[in-house]
Amino acid sequence: MPTLSIDWPAVHAAASVRLAMPRTPLRGRAGERLGAGTGASLEFQDYRTYTPGDDLRHVDWAAYARTALLSVRLYREEVAPRVDLALDVSRSMAVTEAKQRAFSELSALLACACASTVADSCVITSPGAAPEPLPNPEHIERFLTCGVNQSAFEIGPLPFRRRSVRIVISDFLFPHDADALISRLARESAWLAIVQLTLAEEAEPVVEGGRRLIDVEGRGELDLVIDDAAVRDYRARFTRLRLELSRAARRVGAPFAHLVVGTPLRDMARALAAAGVVEPA
Amino acid sequence: MIFTTPLGLLALLAIPTIVAIHLFRRRFPVRPVAGLFLWGVVRQTPEGGGRITKLPVTRSLILECLAALALALILAGARLSPAGVSQHLVVLLDDSASMAAAAAPGDSARDRAVRRVLAELDRLSAGARITLIRSGDRPAILAGPASYIVEARPALDAWKPEAPHHSMAMGLRLARELAGRTGTLVVMSDMAAEPRGEPHFEGGVWMALGDRVDNVGITAAQRTTAPEDNRSVVSLTLASNMTAATSRHLSVRAGDAEVLARQLSVPPGASSLTLPIPAGLPAVRVALSDDGLRRDDDVMLAEPRARIVAIDNQLREGRGRDAVMRALDAVSGVTRAASGHLTFVDAEALDQPSTTDVWRVGFGRPSPTWLAPGEPKDFVGPFVLEKRHPLLLGMTLGGVVWAGASPIAPDVVRPIVSTGDQVLAGMATGPAFAGRTAILLNVDLDRTNLIRSPDWPILISNLVEMRRQQLAGPERWNYRSGEWVRVRLDRDQKAQLRFRCGGVERTLPAGRLIEFIAPSPGGLLQILDGDEVLFEIGVNFLDEMETALGDRSTGDSGKVGEVAGLRGETSAAFDPLFWILLAVGATAMLLNWCLLMPGRSARASVSQTV
Repeated sequence: MPTLSIDWPAVHAAASVRLAMPRTPLRGRAGERLGAGTGASLEFQDYRTYTPGDDLRHVDWAAYARTALLSVRLYREEVAPRVDLALDVSRSMAVTEAKQRAFSELSALLACACASTVADSCVITSPGAAPEPLPNPEHIERFLTCGVNQSAFEIGPLPFRRRSVRIVISDFLFPHDADALISRLARESAWLAIVQLTLAEEAEPVVEGGRRLIDVEGRGELDLVIDDAAVRDYRARFTRLRLELSRAARRVGAPFAHLVVGTPLRDMARALAAAGVVEPA
Repeated sequence: MIFTTPLGLLALLAIPTIVAIHLFRRRFPVRPVAGLFLWGVVRQTPEGGGRITKLPVTRSLILECLAALALALILAGARLSPAGVSQHLVVLLDDSASMAAAAAPGDSARDRAVRRVLAELDRLSAGARITLIRSGDRPAILAGPASYIVEARPALDAWKPEAPHHSMAMGLRLARELAGRTGTLVVMSDMAAEPRGEPHFEGGVWMALGDRVDNVGITAAQRTTAPEDNRSVVSLTLASNMTAATSRHLSVRAGDAEVLARQLSVPPGASSLTLPIPAGLPAVRVALSDDGLRRDDDVMLAEPRARIVAIDNQLREGRGRDAVMRALDAVSGVTRAASGHLTFVDAEALDQPSTTDVWRVGFGRPSPTWLAPGEPKDFVGPFVLEKRHPLLLGMTLGGVVWAGASPIAPDVVRPIVSTGDQVLAGMATGPAFAGRTAILLNVDLDRTNLIRSPDWPILISNLVEMRRQQLAGPERWNYRSGEWVRVRLDRDQKAQLRFRCGGVERTLPAGRLIEFIAPSPGGLLQILDGDEVLFEIGVNFLDEMETALGDRSTGDSGKVGEVAGLRGETSAAFDPLFWILLAVGATAMLLNWCLLMPGRSARASVSQTV
């Protein structure tokens, strides 16, 4: 399964965004984001009684003047958040060249967003492998070979890091229970974002006549006359699938974005920002 | 290439059928999708039937057509020409005993016939077929039909001619049927076609392989017994085809004991010989010293056991009773008894009950229930006799005055002697006589001259012999091979009835009257009820035609016509074309199956599309 080269200039032009981090405290290495513990940032957190060994620069002398008690000012720590970028690299993401290109560019866009966030980013593509570090956005190209017959999200728990920020990209075109799937993805996460990428004809097929439909992931084949009734039934099922995903994401406080292949990358970034997945840098 | 079953070529219709299926099959454009499950339960609405489009010459089509072609050719029996046709030799072997006659060991007509057949087999190709038939009244197939040569050789080695003289017609008919238009017919005998009864033999080769052999044989044999003298007599008829008297040693043995030994001087032609031996001996074997034909040199003779008929004469005193007694005195094998096998009574007593074992013969006026209105009359003829009835054998009733014949009611007796519509003698019928025998002689013995005519002792003798035939035991005690043996039993059998004669043993049907053909080669025949020996009888060759070995001849006659040879339908295993077609067909089917395996075709389509 060949990979497509990414038009990085176009990606960088569109990637003036960073991840929309949650307001809840995060965990991670020292960085630019406020952490859950005390640290050395400028944001006041609390007072506590002075104990020998405390930094005298943090003693609140004004309070000592008023109360004759030595107390110390505590400030929030600053951390670099852990970001897990979970990619669906099954064959369905490359069912057409356009979809594979769109998937690659979307992944690159989000990799750039991670870099803008100064996050400890990793890429997860399968349940059996450890998260792969993503030192720079261009490194994402190593993970975009869509050759497996089953989505990683179907199989079982993914090796997410604890309290990590998680962005999941897939078409979600496999049989699943949306509530169970989203709950599993959100378990012990700091934040979760769901991005669904589909072809236009996958979202809204049109009447085509007789077709032999062959599932690219080997789930069978079907000779079918795609007429009005077939299209109507299909659309109803796809809409229900998308709404259930959206509803399940909303239950766990995760933003959900549905992107359609063929949308310009800049518009995709806007759509992600509108959904709350990213924010202007 | 030839086709052994050309109708199998109809299977080639499978090829246009396959092409039509491929031509009309609905072929939708392939569209790979990511979520087939979203389409899965959508109802399918066909857009009408398939459309004729350009025939896609796919690998599947080629393989299917190839497999159909190969299988059709196999069904049609496609063969390479040289191996498809094999020669078929049909040999009719004369099974008469004279074929075994030999002046020197290994030089009999049978030995020469075997050598000729083997020479023919060596001349034929390896794939040739042969059918061996043994002649006889019931010809038998020794090897075949159309067996391979290796199968025929053991049957030929085991063949031993020992049948009595018989016609070759039945064997020839069977041989011609089996030869048909594809086989070559060869007859092997020790005589030429004409003296063997086939003066117009055609359509094959008649090989006469006989030779004159000096022979003395027994052509008839009889053993009689005179118990009152305590002696038994063996009577032999000998035949010699030699031109001068010759000497032979004759011995008579009963079991292991030699009863009699004698050196004979046998004159040319037929001669008779009588040998007295002690009575009461078991079956004796009479043997001449060996010569050209051993088959006719000995006989096995069982001692006859007389079947005595017990007579009870209950006629009233008078002329008739005396006449019966005088006639019985002239008949052998009878005795007087109070309750006999045969009872002579006045006709009025025929109505009285009796046992089934007792035959009753009534003379005179029967009881009134048998009579029709009218007075008794005398008749001088002409008399109508049922000639086939054993009671009337040898009788003419010439010059007889049948006196005192009363009118008989219809359906009372079955007439055997009558004049006009008057029944003079007959067998009683009706439900009262079911299973019993009663004979009415509607004659007044005191007035008729029947008792003084020559027919009277014949009548009485016939009555006695009729009754004797119904007594238990064999009809005769010594038979020729091939004759019908009749044995009457006086009781139901306890176990399976069978007979044993030499190496032959067969079961017999259940019943009081047993009939079977005396088996060949003969010897002492025992009739057994389970393990109990009921009777022992002698079965002997005794064939004058086979003993006369002076007219045997040598020479071939006839010619072999053009024959097509036998199509080798069964030689598929030897035909390389069969195996080639089988391999091609099987390979094509296997490859096609691999090509159309579920999953493989889908993956191939997707990879081509993606």
